[in-house]
Amino acid sequence: MYPFEYVRPASVEEAIGLRRADAGAQWLAGGMTLLPSMKLRLAAPSQLIDLTDVEGLDEWSIGDEHIVLGSMSSHRRVAEADEVRTRIQALSTVAAGIGDPQVRNRGTLGGSIANNDPAADYPAALLGLGATIRTSQREISADEFFKDFFETVLEDDELVVAVSFPVPRRAAYLKFRTPGSRYALVGVMVAETRDGVRVAVTGAGPGVYRATQLETALAEDFRPEALVGLDMSPDGLNADMHGSPEYRAHLTGVLARRATAQAIACEN
Amino acid sequence: MTDELELKFDALAVGAFKSVGRPVARREDLRLITGKGRFTDDFNEPGQVVAVLVRSPYPHARINRIDSDTAKQMPGVLAIYTGEDCRADGLGIISHSPVPSTRSDLKLTAPGGGAIFEGPHALLPVDKARHVGEGIAMVVAESHRQALDAAEHVRVDYEPLPWVADSAVAIRDGAPTVWDEVPNNVCVDTRFGDTAATDAAFASAAHVIEMEFPIQRVTATPLEPRAALGQYDEASGRYTLNAGSNGAVTHKRQIAGALNVDPENIRVLCFDVGGNFGTKNRVYVEFGLVLWAARKIGRPVKFLATRSESFLSDYQGRDLLTRVELALDADGTFLAYRASNLSNVGARIVSLSPLGKGAPLVTGSYRIPAAEVRAWAAFTTTTPTQAYRSSGRPEVIHALERIIDTAAHRLGFDPIALRRKNLVSSEEMPYTNAFGITYDSGDYIKSMDIALRLADWDGFEARALAVRERGLRLGRGFANYVESSIGAPRERVDMTISPAGRVEVVVGTQPTGQGHETSFAQVTADLLGIDANAVDIVYGDTDIVAEGGGSHSGRSMRHASTAIYGAIEKLKVYAIELAADVWGIETQAIGYGDGRFVETGGARRFDWFELAALEAERAGGGDQRGLRISHSHEMHTPVFPNGCAACEVEVDTETGFVRITKYVAVDDVGRVINPLIVDGQTHGSIATGAGQALWEQCYTDPDSGQPLSGSFMDYGIPRADEMPSFITAFNEVPSPTNPLGVKSGGEGPTTAALAVIINAIVDALRDLGVDDIPMPATPFQVWQSIRDAQG
Repeated sequence: MYPFEYVRPASVEEAIGLRRADAGAQWLAGGMTLLPSMKLRLAAPSQLIDLTDVEGLDEWSIGDEHIVLGSMSSHRRVAEADEVRTRIQALSTVAAGIGDPQVRNRGTLGGSIANNDPAADYPAALLGLGATIRTSQREISADEFFKDFFETVLEDDELVVAVSFPVPRRAAYLKFRTPGSRYALVGVMVAETRDGVRVAVTGAGPGVYRATQLETALAEDFRPEALVGLDMSPDGLNADMHGSPEYRAHLTGVLARRATAQAIACEN
Repeated sequence: MTDELELKFDALAVGAFKSVGRPVARREDLRLITGKGRFTDDFNEPGQVVAVLVRSPYPHARINRIDSDTAKQMPGVLAIYTGEDCRADGLGIISHSPVPSTRSDLKLTAPGGGAIFEGPHALLPVDKARHVGEGIAMVVAESHRQALDAAEHVRVDYEPLPWVADSAVAIRDGAPTVWDEVPNNVCVDTRFGDTAATDAAFASAAHVIEMEFPIQRVTATPLEPRAALGQYDEASGRYTLNAGSNGAVTHKRQIAGALNVDPENIRVLCFDVGGNFGTKNRVYVEFGLVLWAARKIGRPVKFLATRSESFLSDYQGRDLLTRVELALDADGTFLAYRASNLSNVGARIVSLSPLGKGAPLVTGSYRIPAAEVRAWAAFTTTTPTQAYRSSGRPEVIHALERIIDTAAHRLGFDPIALRRKNLVSSEEMPYTNAFGITYDSGDYIKSMDIALRLADWDGFEARALAVRERGLRLGRGFANYVESSIGAPRERVDMTISPAGRVEVVVGTQPTGQGHETSFAQVTADLLGIDANAVDIVYGDTDIVAEGGGSHSGRSMRHASTAIYGAIEKLKVYAIELAADVWGIETQAIGYGDGRFVETGGARRFDWFELAALEAERAGGGDQRGLRISHSHEMHTPVFPNGCAACEVEVDTETGFVRITKYVAVDDVGRVINPLIVDGQTHGSIATGAGQALWEQCYTDPDSGQPLSGSFMDYGIPRADEMPSFITAFNEVPSPTNPLGVKSGGEGPTTAALAVIINAIVDALRDLGVDDIPMPATPFQVWQSIRDAQG
């Protein structure tokens, strides 16, 4: 690690003020990506603005049509909450499947989506469920929020405050894990929402994306059989030691089919 | 003195043992799991400073210039050393003695039969970097952070050169040359066996099957990264090194050579070691560098590798390309075998153990009268390879057990019946194979029968149908194995029986997790007829342990128990003379049994500790420590642990995902000293093999030569939740080569695991047209193999 300053503001305004005052500063949520990167000297922030004490970032609001989760909600809290499971079981599944118990205790919803790791689970959950991200400045739809590889539309001084998830009619998330890291080699969220069918894919490409071909097929007929025979294009997908673009494309189809079956089976 | 022990033993009768054979809990565990272990990084000295290595980012590059002027001026920096500094100071090279040289080893040579060019291993190179991660310069600073900061400012002017990572490419005309002395990179090329007889058998054979297997490179990833703490005492001129290894004594000699100093001026301390698996058997440049720097700077110097450094620069394992041919008669009798084993030694030769140990075992557990093997090796611009858990044997057993399954399938034989027909029987023991290697003992067919029963082999079809109903496929695999355990031939024990009722045993092996403190005490106690809790095992300090071959090649229990046995036999003779003298009677009138010396027909008796008290008393002002004995022995006869494995796997053909659902291991480790410890070794040993079969791979980017599996994010280490509950059994056939009848545990199960798992996966996918799968059989690879087979 290189040397850095460490501050622990108590409010969103204070946190933003600190960020504006230091171009080299970075927010610290759970630190599950940032801290290992710093230890490897791959990241060198001049200042860490620890969000742990910032008021309001862990607040939840649970309704019948939406659940709103504060950005500092740990994966473990989301995974274990009955009010989440009874409304959006697929979201519980996403949170429960991230990393290991240590990571789930520290890692946060806001940290995960702001980081936008191309193999992270939450981006697929937000995009698949059609969530809205509330920041210190505005509301952003998931469709707008996620950009390329490790990139979002967030401004430097913009802080994720909460995420609002519409309760879907039915949804399921499945991921196929990479042998070493157990990150998603491919992860697929299939959801039938009030605004239509959404299918979001993580791990397969340089960033999370919607599989419109699958969405169209499922919109016509929300059954796994509707996806049989659809050839997913490998164009633009990742190639590495863990899988070729063709393999990732193939897994996307398989997982979408299985997730659809699961969504139907555990309809809630 | 050295005694050549009589090497034919009727193993000691089972009734002679009270502790041996029992699952005694490991006495070292409480210490290790409560933070009281003494690992290298636990040692710190006043005034200690920190060393950090500047490592090559290139697989192959000329070092034109190293500019450390800026770095030297940075805060806390004490020194920056380069290869030129080492040369100017008259430092030598690390002599790894890489060529296996016991009497039982086949003699590897350079092409044409000459001496092998090893590729000199200087502590820092002056000419070229030959692999990514090779140390190019060393920074010593007051703190770790200061050393890291300065290391970033050492400017190395590299001239990148063409690289070659794959041994099959390295031997081609026009491939980049790693060492000018060996332009075509082929550093070893030796043929063993009877070529004429093999050719004749192949010519007359009804069937010939030929296959090629790349046994991929893996790395050991011990929990404790390698570390070193060097000190130099100006007054005595002595160096002290703390460093984890498999045996401090061998390291002492090799480090002395690298520093060009007398071995007596080097003390090596090695206490608890957090895993080894072979990678810590050999000396690392940092060991010499911290000692040298400690002398030059006048302060203790510590080095601790990061996990990232370990992935790049720990000596790695396997990496053998083996092409094999099996000749069979019309009825399935094996006639002959040919193997071409090409080893990738990496940037320089650190060890030829894997190549040498595998070559004479290519025919495995089977009666194959004619055989030939070409054992050759190539330099590449990769990290050097070294023995890794069951050095060289899983590679050749994989090829053999895979080709037998393939032959059975192609020719219409039942794979079990084909194996049974050709297995060496117990009546043929001791059996001399086609390379003149004699298997000491074993009952291979019995092991196979035990495994088939434990695996419920015959109930497979019903289970497979049930799995099919869940949309998956079940496959089953079987593999026999025999492996060899040779190792350094000399071992020494110094034993003291004190009047206070303790027995101290100083021994030159080095546990790296195997539980020697428990199992050696069990042996000593039973041979003395005393309680095991009275025995203390001492190791790990070269000032105390004068000799010793270390722990490798499954040698520790066999050598230690034989040396302990020899010491106690000698001590008994002395003790009887002592008792006879005290009692004023002839030695013939004294009997010994169950730890007691008894006057025949009389009432007088002594136990060991009473004799120790007498001995101390008689010493007067001299040595009052009690009964003492030193015993060295040499044992050149290898033993051949053997056994088999059966397993079942569920395969999801849509995703390629494989789950091991059943795993049976039957092992003949000779006499089992502590079944709890051996079972633990078996479990770990299976996981080691399963890791290679399914996930592990040192993957090099084909475009840049960069190692890409540089962390646990990409390197698939096996985890507990991926393993089934293992079913294990012993088929204990005591070896006639040593008094306790010991063979070896801990490596055999790895030896069979690669083949048995791949056999099972191929079995599951056979009707999709798959007849082989390269390792690691990751989901991606399994899916790709199915896809390729489907065309």
